[in-house]
Amino acid sequence: MTLRDLIDRLKLKSLSTFDDRDVSGVVVSDMVSDVMAGAKSGNLWLTVQTHKSIVPAANLVDVAAVVVTSGKTVPQETVDLASKYKVAILSSELSTFELVGKLYSLGLGGT
Amino acid sequence: MAGCQHRWEMADVEFGFVAFERCFHCDGLRTFFSPEQAPFLGEEYREGRCFWRRVENAQSLRFSLRCARCGERHTLEELMGLLHCSGCDPACEIDRLRLQAEAAGEWVLVGFGFADKNGAIPIPQAKLEILADYFNQRRAASRPRLRLLSFEQIGELSRCHGDFLHDVGMLSLEPPPPRKSLLVAPAPEPGGRAASNADRENGHDTP
Repeated sequence: MTLRDLIDRLKLKSLSTFDDRDVSGVVVSDMVSDVMAGAKSGNLWLTVQTHKSIVPAANLVDVAAVVVTSGKTVPQETVDLASKYKVAILSSELSTFELVGKLYSLGLGGT
Repeated sequence: MAGCQHRWEMADVEFGFVAFERCFHCDGLRTFFSPEQAPFLGEEYREGRCFWRRVENAQSLRFSLRCARCGERHTLEELMGLLHCSGCDPACEIDRLRLQAEAAGEWVLVGFGFADKNGAIPIPQAKLEILADYFNQRRAASRPRLRLLSFEQIGELSRCHGDFLHDVGMLSLEPPPPRKSLLVAPAPEPGGRAASNADRENGHDTP
């Protein structure tokens, strides 16, 4: 499943510019240190963190996209930095819990 | 093992905090890893002529890297964290190298060692290269390669506004205040020492 598929199916909003790629699992955490230790390349990272430090962290572990849940507003400086490094930042009005349920039903599992 | 095409994996992972202490007498900064469960912000103690105060606890981790093929292991206990260059100072060597790397299709982070009173302690270049190898081995081949630089090339450390890949303010029961640079010394308030996140998170201003 690709990012574009997920965006269409789950009505996610694309905030940054990025290249489409395959998604290989889901990691849920609001802590950068958790993600650095546990995420894998191609994962979807669900978080409510919006500080721009999520961009280098996402780039470091090469997640397919960061999905900011619960309709949180993402600062423009975070979006701009993500676009610069082609890190996909998506947003959803759903809570993390609800979005995990939908991703699971689409066949995506953990890391 | 000589000749092994190392395949690095994380080992000995320990979660904890990078503690930042500042001396309000000499304005020195020092950092260390703490495995505390609930570190106290604002702790103060005297050591010689210095009055150290815990000004920040940043949730982080420490780990080793082990080769899955030959078992070679490198501890990274001297690694305080990785910093993303914000391009705050065009005269900074790191910024020059960052722009150069990005033009060549790489991207850059800066590796920091823990700091004692005399400043941050360098991480051997060989270890930075192993750490970069570890992250690059995990990346999709189509993505830009990571290059790790040493903080020693930062022109003026006390003016660096780069962002550490740490979790700051996660222990607060209130929404955390806007993030500030951990390297830049806060401006002293009239008649007292500088305010810190510790003051704000503990719900009081400078005493």
